[in-house]
Amino acid sequence: MTRPTLAALLMFVFAASAQAHHSFAAEYDGKKPATFTGTVTKVEWTNPHVHFFVDVKDPAGATMQWEFTMGAVNGLFRRGWTKEMLKPGDTVTVDGYLARDGSHLANARIITLRDGRRMSGGTMPDEPAN
Amino acid sequence: MRPAIVFFFVTAMVASVAAQWNAVPPPGMPRNADGSPNLNAAAPKTADGKPDLSGVWRPDRNQKCPPDGCPDNQMSEQFLDLGWGLKDGLPYQPWAADLVKRRTARNGQDDPTSHCFPGGIVRLHTYPTFSKIVQTPRLIVILSEREVTYRQIFLDGRPLPTDPLPTWKGYSVGRWEGDALVVESRGFRGDDVWLDRKGSPLTEAATITERIRRVNYGRLQTQLTVNDPKAYTRPFTVTLNEYLEPAAELMDFVCLENDGGGPQFLGK
Repeated sequence: MTRPTLAALLMFVFAASAQAHHSFAAEYDGKKPATFTGTVTKVEWTNPHVHFFVDVKDPAGATMQWEFTMGAVNGLFRRGWTKEMLKPGDTVTVDGYLARDGSHLANARIITLRDGRRMSGGTMPDEPAN
Repeated sequence: MRPAIVFFFVTAMVASVAAQWNAVPPPGMPRNADGSPNLNAAAPKTADGKPDLSGVWRPDRNQKCPPDGCPDNQMSEQFLDLGWGLKDGLPYQPWAADLVKRRTARNGQDDPTSHCFPGGIVRLHTYPTFSKIVQTPRLIVILSEREVTYRQIFLDGRPLPTDPLPTWKGYSVGRWEGDALVVESRGFRGDDVWLDRKGSPLTEAATITERIRRVNYGRLQTQLTVNDPKAYTRPFTVTLNEYLEPAAELMDFVCLENDGGGPQFLGK
């Protein structure tokens, strides 16, 4: 998962999200990127952060539930998200960063939807807003 | 091939947003030859000949984005520091300068809006959520997504009360002066209202005067003067821009929905 631009990106992330409603840096570890694939079990379209839950199989075959957070509903919908894009039963892949507290929580940076579209989770400055 | 795909993708996204919220453009919206909104056209008038401020507006996004792109809610510089653009910044009284230093050191952790309280009327112009102006001859109502709040500006000639009950948005009366709506407000919750993320204070002694002009179809410009001798050594004036969102509807932003408190609050 090593990315040459990660350090540079994270500087921007810290700068940007410290000015938003809540801090990425306070809750997530930018040095711990991770990728998950699994089945969506629940989506909460809530403010100031959207949360969704995914059943992920670990290498031993056991199912673990992970929680992911995205940006605010307003910002996401105005960037093209709709609630039909992410529903229970969907198989999705999430690229994100792990929570600092070691819980099964991660920041969703890029979500690959059931139809293959890749959408920004909105809390990371990957693409221009609107 | 690629441009066509990109065009299709953009069109699909726009279509899905429109379907989701059934957005209806303002009646009589001027358009360019390609059908897009002509935001540089002249500002509209109401039936009684006053400037029409109606519409869904969003604050300026003049904060520079990093090379990788902007975050989801791009800010205005004045959201972070109302004195941005003023040569010497805001003219704080010594105690206010000390307070701002302490608040800044905590990185906005104590900002009432981070704790899901409403902002005051200054942040109505700068918080990166949308507002809707509903204009009638005797009353203007500003609806804000931010914590689903409202502001009233009375245009019926009533005087501004000298000592109204302190509230988040204060008490506002307005009058037309040429193409400007001039609004005077006072009665703010002194300890609770921050003017910006760095923590510039406002006291119950403050009077705020706004000169709001719709300079063209797509832009509102507000010259906002804060006269608060308890917190500032002299009155100061800032210019705040807001831009029309012709295809947008308000969407609730209630930050208590899932995040009322806890370690995820701003902090270093």
